[in-house]
Amino acid sequence: MKELRLAKKIIKTLVKDRIQYPGRLLADTLTTSGRCVVLLLLYYYVFNLKGGLINNTTFIVAAWSIFFYFAFMNLNLRNIARLIMADVQSGNIEVLLNKPISYLLYRSWWQIGAGLYSFLVVTLLGSVALILIIGIPSTMTIALFLPTVFLTFLMAVVLSLLIYIIVGLLSFWIIDINPVFWLIDKMVMILGGSYLPVALFPNFLYQISIYSPFGASQFITHVVYESWQMNWYWLILVQIFWIIVLGLAVYFMFRSVKKKVSINGG
Amino acid sequence: MPLNNKNYKAISVSNLTKKFNFSVKNPKLSWYKNLVSSEKKEIIAVNNISFSLEPGERVAFIGPNGAGKSTTIKMLTGILFPSSGKINILGLDPTRDRKKLAYQIGTVFGQRSQLLPNLPLTDSFEFFGVMYDLSDSEIKERITELTTLFDLSAFIDQPVRKLSLGQRMRAEVAVSLIHKPKIILLDEPTIGLDIVAKKTLRDLLLKINGEEGVTILLTSHDVGDIESLCSRTIIINNGEIIKDLATEDLAKTFVFEKYIDLVPTTKFSDFIDLPAGLEYSVKTPNLITVIADINKISVQNSIRKLLDAYDAEDINVYNTDLESVIRRIYEKGN
Repeated sequence: MKELRLAKKIIKTLVKDRIQYPGRLLADTLTTSGRCVVLLLLYYYVFNLKGGLINNTTFIVAAWSIFFYFAFMNLNLRNIARLIMADVQSGNIEVLLNKPISYLLYRSWWQIGAGLYSFLVVTLLGSVALILIIGIPSTMTIALFLPTVFLTFLMAVVLSLLIYIIVGLLSFWIIDINPVFWLIDKMVMILGGSYLPVALFPNFLYQISIYSPFGASQFITHVVYESWQMNWYWLILVQIFWIIVLGLAVYFMFRSVKKKVSINGG
Repeated sequence: MPLNNKNYKAISVSNLTKKFNFSVKNPKLSWYKNLVSSEKKEIIAVNNISFSLEPGERVAFIGPNGAGKSTTIKMLTGILFPSSGKINILGLDPTRDRKKLAYQIGTVFGQRSQLLPNLPLTDSFEFFGVMYDLSDSEIKERITELTTLFDLSAFIDQPVRKLSLGQRMRAEVAVSLIHKPKIILLDEPTIGLDIVAKKTLRDLLLKINGEEGVTILLTSHDVGDIESLCSRTIIINNGEIIKDLATEDLAKTFVFEKYIDLVPTTKFSDFIDLPAGLEYSVKTPNLITVIADINKISVQNSIRKLLDAYDAEDINVYNTDLESVIRRIYEKGN
């Protein structure tokens, strides 16, 4: 109960903090929209060249898949890795380790709170814009859609946090995690369907995207495909599997790093 | 644990040691060899120290840079794990009970801020109130108490980033007291503050010690903090405690030493070798300061010897100040 109250307080405080800076929200919205619109225009052109159908996928499905990716990325969960690195490098971690909280849980709620406002605004405005411009595919109108979207979204949040927490914790050993961060981030982007919707992947790459934690952290991009109705439970099981594996990895890593804390030589 | 128990200590540390191990690169070896078989070095940051604090005590924990003060404070709060030895704070072991202990202690790190920079100060109070599991009414009540105690009303609704450093430090200390801790650990709380802000903060710390019985352990390089705040001083150097005494006795540590200033009629040019018991502290054309060890040579004799050798316009004899005492202790420790 205490954890939930604290989570609510962190999220509320961070949203309030973000509202203080409408300019930042505008910049986030414009950046996301800009990247998303460029990709959608490219795909519109490519789909037209191919007669409107590639790999049994229509443009409207590919467009929504890409949009879900960008909306999810707006939560900016990956930034938790850099936040942990900054705490370690600056020594600020000592302030948080002095509090009656779990450091990683606190940082996770902090990251969710930091991105939630942008995510909600971008998702809402983007959805309305897409509905008005290209409409919605039939796969989004079935009863199963909303509850499974919600479920896979929650799993994706947890899995993304775990992946980037592991990257962040590496800063206790290697100090500068930027090269690792870049590599992992690109894996997530590629296997998550940022550049190319996963439905258009060649089979071997599709299998990697399904069974790797990087792709699994972005299963939100699968929810608009025809195949989602048949294999949603399997994909969510894959997410649960990775959450357990990476959760254990985080647990043991953090247990180890707690003994490695060193601040200003002390 | 009852506070009236005579054996009860707020902080008890015994045989505490902290060693840090790190790899040292050998520039003569290739990166691969350095990676595979790097040389390991060990630093003993804190070496077998023991001390205890009574509830309500105000203690300065001082030492030169790298002496082991911050490492000790961080072990007391449970951030760092001791290599060996025992720590007991209010009946809790920081390494095992870090979260439980956090409810009992407050910490202020002078060089770090825990406040929410973009939001009004009240948000930081509420935020940490929830973190320490206080109810909404308790938070409200405590904010009112701390606002009065720390005189925060003029800027409590301002965003933290707009506060002056002095106001921010007052706020930092106030926020660290939101959960009514029994002990407050302060790591250089007055660093960077002007003299007025320093005095205000010291007065406030004395006030919370007097009114709420909070035990204070602080590290500082500022002699004013030690003199005006702490009744006891522990000096650590090279990881070892070299003095643990009442602050008023600290000033008497070098009571056998007198300082003699000589101002020249024109300018000092030749500096004579001094007899046993006298040593130069300052040796410039415009001022000579000599330290006289009165166990070896009387003040009268010292002045006579100096006046025989130098043509002085003015002479001043005085006891050493606390800052010089501390500096001498550090120097002797090295």
